[in-house]
Parts: sequence; C-alpha cells; structure tokens
Amino acid sequence: MEFFLQQLVNGLTLGGVYALIALGYSMVYGILKLLNFAHGDVYMVGAFAGYGVLVAFGGPADPRIPVVTLIVLMFLAGMLASGILGVVIERFAYRPLRNAPRIAPLISAVGVSFFLQNAALLVLGARFRSYGTARMVDPATGLQWGPLRISIIRIVVILSAVALMVVLHLLVQRTKLGKAMRATAFDREAAAMMGIDVDRVIVATFLIGSVLAGAAGVMVGLVFSRVYHFMGFVAGLKGFTAAVIGGIGSIPGAMMGGLLIGLAEAFSAGYISSTFQNLIVFGLLIVFLLARPRGLFGVPEPVKV
Amino acid sequence: MGSWVAPEWRWCETMAVLELRGLTKRFGGLLVVDGLDLSVAEGEIVSLIGPNGAGKTTVFNLISGVFTPDGGDILLDGRSIVGLPRHEIARRGVARTFQTLRVFLNMTVAENVIAAEYASGTVGAVRSFLGTPAARAEAERMRAEAERRLAFFGERLVGYRLEQPAYSLSYANRRRLEIARAMATGARLLLLDEPAAGMNPAETQEITRLIGQLRDEAGYTILVIEHDMHVVEGISDRVVALDHGVKIAEGSFDDVATDPAVVEAYLGKGGAATK
Amino acid sequence: MPEIGTDRWVAEFESRRVRREGPWGRLIEWSSRRWLWLFAGAAIVYPFVIGGDFGIRVGVNALLLAMLAIGLNVVVGYTGLLDLGYVAYYGLGAYGYAFLASDQFGIHLPTPVVVAVVALVVFGVGLVLGQPARRLVGDYLAILTLFFLQVFVELALNLDRLDLPFVDGPVSITGGPNGIAGVDPMEILGFRFGQVRDYYFLLLVLVILLIVGVTNLARSRTGVGWRAIREDTLAAEHMTIPSGRLKVLAYAFGATVAAVSGTVFAAVQLGVFPQNFTVALLIVVYAALVLGGEGSIPGALVGALIIAMVPELLRTPAGARLLFYGGLLVAGLTLVRPRRRLAVIVPGLLLFGLAVRALVAGIWPGLVAAETAGGVDRWLLRFSASADVVVSVLFVVTIAVALAAVAVRRRRVRDALLILGVYLLVLVWENRLVEEPSITRQLLFGALLVVLMVARPHGLLGRPRVEVV
Ligand SMILES: Nc1ncnc2c1ncn2[C@@H]1O[C@H](COP(=O)(O)OP(=O)(O)O)[C@@H](O)[C@H]1O
Ligand SMILES: [Mg+2]
Repeated sequence: MEFFLQQLVNGLTLGGVYALIALGYSMVYGILKLLNFAHGDVYMVGAFAGYGVLVAFGGPADPRIPVVTLIVLMFLAGMLASGILGVVIERFAYRPLRNAPRIAPLISAVGVSFFLQNAALLVLGARFRSYGTARMVDPATGLQWGPLRISIIRIVVILSAVALMVVLHLLVQRTKLGKAMRATAFDREAAAMMGIDVDRVIVATFLIGSVLAGAAGVMVGLVFSRVYHFMGFVAGLKGFTAAVIGGIGSIPGAMMGGLLIGLAEAFSAGYISSTFQNLIVFGLLIVFLLARPRGLFGVPEPVKV
Repeated sequence: MGSWVAPEWRWCETMAVLELRGLTKRFGGLLVVDGLDLSVAEGEIVSLIGPNGAGKTTVFNLISGVFTPDGGDILLDGRSIVGLPRHEIARRGVARTFQTLRVFLNMTVAENVIAAEYASGTVGAVRSFLGTPAARAEAERMRAEAERRLAFFGERLVGYRLEQPAYSLSYANRRRLEIARAMATGARLLLLDEPAAGMNPAETQEITRLIGQLRDEAGYTILVIEHDMHVVEGISDRVVALDHGVKIAEGSFDDVATDPAVVEAYLGKGGAATK
Repeated sequence: MPEIGTDRWVAEFESRRVRREGPWGRLIEWSSRRWLWLFAGAAIVYPFVIGGDFGIRVGVNALLLAMLAIGLNVVVGYTGLLDLGYVAYYGLGAYGYAFLASDQFGIHLPTPVVVAVVALVVFGVGLVLGQPARRLVGDYLAILTLFFLQVFVELALNLDRLDLPFVDGPVSITGGPNGIAGVDPMEILGFRFGQVRDYYFLLLVLVILLIVGVTNLARSRTGVGWRAIREDTLAAEHMTIPSGRLKVLAYAFGATVAAVSGTVFAAVQLGVFPQNFTVALLIVVYAALVLGGEGSIPGALVGALIIAMVPELLRTPAGARLLFYGGLLVAGLTLVRPRRRLAVIVPGLLLFGLAVRALVAGIWPGLVAAETAGGVDRWLLRFSASADVVVSVLFVVTIAVALAAVAVRRRRVRDALLILGVYLLVLVWENRLVEEPSITRQLLFGALLVVLMVARPHGLLGRPRVEVV
C-alpha cells in the first residue's frame, strides 16, 4: 500500500509534466493540423534555460539569492526561452508552409528538431547536467503522511502543473483570445472571414504551448534531475502519445492523456518486468487506437459530401 | 401508399431501373428524408426539385451508398443495394456527380476518366508491374476510351487539355469532366447533382442539350437535381418535388410547377404563383 | 453566342505554349525524358571513377535509400497513406535474411529462395497490418504505424532471452541489442558476392527494375486508382475503385519493396542490428522522398542520391569546406536580387572582416590565437582554445542574425544583416563547425530540411499540388 501510494505520487508528478507537453502538441494540432515534432526540443531548451539561471546565480549548493526566488526565476527563464523559441520556429519554419502539402511542414518540423538537438550538442556538449535539487532543497522537507512522504519539490511541481492547466483552461474558455482560438481550430477560413486575426491566434497558440513545455522542462530538471541535448526526443514521444490518447486536438484530452501515461509509466515501472514493459505499453496503445482512433475526447470527423 | 404515377408513365412500374421504397434518413433528431417512394424507368429522365435543404442531395447520397438509410429500401433492377460498399454500387451501374465538385484535382483530365474505368479492367497489379502485353493493351484501351468519353463534350476537353491537371479547368469544364467520369464507370443510371450550377446561360443551354443526348444517343437513365427551371423544363420526362424530405408533387413539369404545394414550398405561404 | 463545343483557348493554345529554348533548355527537355538512361549510365560509370571501397559503399547506401524512397513513394506519394512504420519492413527483410542465411538457427538457404520467402512473407504481413488503413485516415494512421515501428524495435531488442516450452534454456531469436552477426553473403546462380561492388551492381539492377515496374504500375488502373484515392477517397469509390483493397495493396507493396532492400542490406553488412531500423532512418527516407518531390519517381531517386551522398562530403574538412563555400556562393548568386547588390555586399563583407580582426586583436589580444597562416586567416579571426564560450555565443547570435535577415524588409538593413550574418557564419564555421564534422552534418541536415521545405514545399522534381482541406 505504501509502495502503491508512492508510485501514485510519482505517477502524478510525471503525469503533470507529460500533460504540459501534450498540451502543446494538442493545441498546435487543433489549430494547424500539424504534428509539431520539434515540440520536445522546445521543452529541452526550457530545461537548459532553467539550468542556465541556476548556474548564473551560483549553482544549487550555494545560491546567491533565496532558493524560492531562484526557483521562480528558473521557471520564468525556462518559460520565456521556450516561448520565444516556439514563436520563432512558427514564424520561420511553419508559417511559410501554411498552404503547402501536409507533409512539408512535417518534414520542416523534423528538420527543426534535428537542428535544435545538434545546436544544443554543439553549444553545450554531450554532458548530462543536473539541477542538483537535493543540494538546493533538503529532500527531507515536505509532507509526511503516515508512511507516505512527499518532498516539497514534488508538491511544488504538481501544484504548479495544476495551476498552469487551470490558467490555460480559463484562458481558453473565458477570454476573447480563447474564443478566437476555438473558432480558428474549428474552421480557420471561416474564422478569418469573421475578422479574427488568424496569424495572431496561431502565434499565441505556439507561445502558450511552448511556455507550458518550458515549464515542464524546468519541472523535470527539478524532480528527475537529468538535462541533456537529447532529452526532448523521449519526452516528446511520451507527450505526443498522451495527446493522442486524449484525442489529439483536445485540451482536456491532453491533460487526461498526460496523467494516464504518467500513472501507467510509474506503475508499470513498479510492477511489471522491465524487459517487455515498453512492448506492453505499445501493444496497448495500438489496441486502444484501433478501438478508438480519435482518443478519449476526440470527435469523429463527419463525412463531407 | 404506393407512389402516385401519371397515367402515361404507368408502364414504368414494371421495368423500373431504380426504385426507392419508403426511404428514410435522420441526422441526429432531424428527419431529412421521410418515407420517399420513387421509381425511375429505363431511359427516363427524372428531375428532383425542391428548395435548398429539402434533402435532394441526401437522396443521392443514400442511393450511391455514402450513407445507409435508417429505413426503407433501394432497389436497382429489382435487387436491393442497401448496405453494399460504394464501389460495388457504382460497379452495378449507378454513377454520380457532385454538387460540390469533386474531380481529382491533381490528376490530368485523361487520368480522371481513366480512374473511373477501373471496374472495366481485368489486369492485376502483378502483370501491370511486369508490363506484360496484356497490361499495355489494357492501358491503351482505357486511354482511348477516356478520349472517346471526353469527345462527347466537343473540343472542350480534348487535345492538349487531356494532359492538363484538372485544377486548371474552369468550373463549367469541371462539371463536364465529372459527367465524363461518371459515364466512364460503365453505369446505366446517372445521378447528376445540379449539373448547370455556376454556368452561364449559353453553357446552361448546352448542358441541357447534352443531358438530352445522354439519354437519346447513349441510352442512359438519368435522375437529375436541378434548380434552373428552364433546364428542368427542357429535359424532364417527369418531375418530383421534395420539401423537408417529403415528396410533395410528382408528374409532368407543367403539373408540378403549378402545383400549389410546390409553389408554397418555394415561395412560402401566401406567395403568389408566378408561372 | 459562341458555337457549342468550340473553345478559343484550345484553338490558340499552341501559340501560347511556353517552350524551353536554346541549348540549355533543350538539354533540360532531353534529360527530363531520358532521365533513367542518364541515371543508369552515370551509375555504371560511378564505381570505376570513384575507385576505393568507401566510395562504392556510399553508392550502395544511396541505392538502398533510393529503393526505400521509391517504395515509400507508392505508399505516401501515390496513395497518400502516411506510413511511419515503413522502416520496420526494411528491418523485417533484413532479419528475415539473417534468420534464413546465417548460423543463428543454422539455416543456410540459397539466396533466391531466401529473398522470395522474405518477400512473400512480408507481403502477407503487410496485407494484415495494412488493414487499419481501410478505416484510419491521415494522421491517425501515421500515429498507429509509428507504434508499429516501436513494437518492431522493441521485439528486435528483447527477443533474445526467450523461455519457450520444450526447449532447454533461454532462446535467442533476434540476438537482442547485439543483433545477428555473421550473415552469409549472397550467392546467385553460383556467383558468390564477395565485394561491395558486386552488391552495388545488384542494387543498381534492382533499382532500375523497380523504377520500370513502378512506372508501369503508375500507368495501370491500379496506379491511377491509388492516386485517385489520395485525391478524394469518397469520389474514387463512387468511380468503382475499391479503395480499401487498393490501400492495403499499396501498403503491402511498399512493405515488400522495403523488405527486399532489407535482405540486400543484411547481406552487404554481413549482419543485422536493431539500431539500424529506428526513427532516425525513417526520417532519412522521408526526407529523401519529400526533398525529391513525393509522387515523382525521378524525384525519389534524386532525393535519395542527394541525402545519401552529400553528407559524405562533410566527412573531410576539405570536402566540407568545398560544400560550405560552394553553398554560400550558390546561395549568394541565386538569392540576392538584383545581382548588383552583390557589388555592395561582397566588398562590405571583406572590409568588415578586416576591421573586426584589427579591432579584436587590438583590444583583447588574448582571445585571438597567435599563429595565423595565409588565406582566409588573414581576414578572419581565429580564436584561441580558451574562447570556446565566445564561439558558442557567436553561434547563437549567427542564427539570430540569419533569421532577422530573412524577416527584415528594408533593403539597407537587410544588406547590413546579410554582411554580418555571412561573416559570423564563416567565423563560426572555421572556428568550430569544421572541427565537429558529425554534429555539423546533423545540423546542416536539419537546416537543409527546413530551408528546402520553405523554398520548395513540393520538392525538387515534384509538381506543386492543389489541396483542398
Ligand atoms: N452529413 C450530414 N450531417 C448532418 N446533417 C446533414 C448532413 N447532410 C445533410 N444534412 C442536412 O440535411 C438537410 C438536407 O440537405 P441536402 O440533402 O444537402 O439538401 P439539398 O440538396 O436538397 O439542398 C439539410 O438540412 C442539411 O443540413
Ligand atoms: Mg444539394
């Protein structure tokens, strides 16, 4: 039971991170019908930006400013860097391809992904970096609940992931921008004819999605402590899978999908032999997709005649 | 209640190519086609008219297998075609055009028609890959057939146009190409969805004549949806008026056009009859 | 009123037609009709011109990639099925060859039998795994097939310690991460393939046969049906085309082509390893196809040759420099319009370089490496090893400047940014990129994909498509 609860907490933490990544995939897909394969690398850059701030202020062991301020700054830096990067990518790699054959932006996205990974490799080297969170915050502090212990940093991560998702939800449902985003996702041309500045909506979508990915990058750095140039690939794949399970294009779907993948990963790591773990996961995904190609929350497209 | 048939058309009942019996279709809570009975005889041209949203295109979609009906039956030569795959329905002799044009835009004009000759071929993929004499002969035959079909429209779609991508065609020419494509499937029953939409008066006259020729010279049976009353008047052996999925009138053009129910459907209650 | 059936456009067409004129134009017309002969001729001569084994090995890789791209073209370019599991069939073919012609199970069947069996089995597998293509469309099929590929890789990695009933001890089927080494070379009609060159010519024959076959198919009702399905599946069905069956056929056809090339790959490499068949290869195949122009067979061929051969030039600094400066020159000549702007940009660039050099050497002498040779070093800064960070920062700045140069409209600003950007590019290139060939290759590959897609979304030889979404 204790083990179970511990895995549950693990799963929730991971799930929050995956959900944040999945949101970026899903939002972009919803609006542009583009599988943005460079999204994982945007997340990687966010993680590095957080690391950069950490180093700039003296490193984890002996920071020059209070730890709380430092962590806030790291989040801000990660989100800012990823946000800018996302917007730049959209402007230069995707926007010129708006009306191109569907596969062209896909290849462009792959190109961006290659470029970012190798640029990071060139600039920062192949070394694994660690935020060294344990030296920054005493791992013993946190909630103690019978045998269950949740470190403060995990609480911070889970809470901020939830907070970001709530903000996103409010933004999409309550604001004018959110309305414009939903309209654009539904029918881009009609939205444009209704006077919505589609370009701005798309930029905003990339910005929001990338900011969330940047936050996820810093969170992973804080909790799982490994930052390197290739980290975006695996996380991207998982975030993407989460988006698909939830129903790609659907925002609540991405949140649910992320949570499911995180929980599934935590529990299968805890309970199933590792040899066939991935195989089982992919097998289940295939069965799921065959049964529900549009995911949990996706709606089938009507036949157009 | 059987369908009402004008005396001079009574002979149709025995040799109907197409027969709809109580055809019904719902979308969500909306009853779009409501117990429609209709029969089309060999060599007949029947026009389906009615205001926008009456369910005309949906009837075509049901016949050609885009949707399966919620009730009723569709008989082709007396055999039900409900539930058959679309290509099988086409293979049995029902071909259609689309109100919103759906030519294969990135294929050439000739290829558009060749594509529709698929069912007439016998050579499989292996022999095609190997380029056997039979495969070559079949490709040539299909090509010649396509040119023959396109020549039906005079010079508009032949010559250099054969090799032009279909997206370069004008609206009217795309409509013609769709008809050529439908003919190439080897069908006997053509479903034409607003063939004169978007055409200028000269072109409309031409298409009216062509539809007549399709029946007189090529022997097609034709069910046509059309809004232009001049076209309807010019080609129809019989007119069926639809409103809210229900048949409100059937008979000769003059009878239907002056039918109070039809006038009301088009002009609303209290509208003046103009014809 | 014009007479029915006549068309002024048609009548006047011949006089409006644009013809390629002059010797250059005639050459293009000729080569676009005779491209297969041109390719065959060049490919036959290639091994003798290039000499050494390495060059021929590059040729083998290029031909393998060409086969893969042409096979994929049928699936993606014709039928419009986004198959992201494609390279799994390449792997299946390779492993199939290894199972039937190595010591792994002690089976050593004759090569033609092996290839035939593998082709048939994989075709069958393709027919089964292609079934979802009947229902799933577009990206959903892409996602599903991507998972197929992941399953294949997982199986290849993990089927090495299997406990089977009636067998003692764990059984290794795929050899796990170590793969299967010691695969038999091919032997056809008593001819034993000893050298890479033998495989090169075998592949050349296969590629040409494949091109002829696919060209035949493209003209047949099957090929025309495939393309109609991609254009508009519903309309195609109304035109008697059995879309489900044809989709599955295209999928299985692609799988078979990939599998056959996989058998050759296994034999030429004398082994199979799971890391040969991952998403990385998938990207390369797609890049080749899209770069050349999906839907076009010569496009797939040209794309594969470029993707496989150009990066090899980057292996040596000399080749890399040739490519880099050649690329700069070509870019300058084609992109800068009107050309007389080059009269401002080139001298500006030279002066700028000299000025920067003098300035930096004067202010921070420590930053600059002491020894300078001739040539470009008289103009360019050469950083000392301790200034690594500076170069890294400059790299990022270079990207920013390059992007800004693309975005800015004002002519003057743009020229200034261009000078700065090119200077920085050369600086970073000489100081870092040339020394890291493997990273540079990937970096350039990524950048190339983006630039080419933006410049020519339909690929080098593809036709622009009209798509209604
Ligand atoms: N696929 C569909 N889903 C839901 N409603 C539909 C669909 N197709 C048609 N309808 C509805 O059915 C009604 C009849 O449409 P249609 O047959 O196209 O009319 P017509 O061709 O007579 O103008 C319309 O109200 C239309 O909105
Ligand atoms: Mg209609």
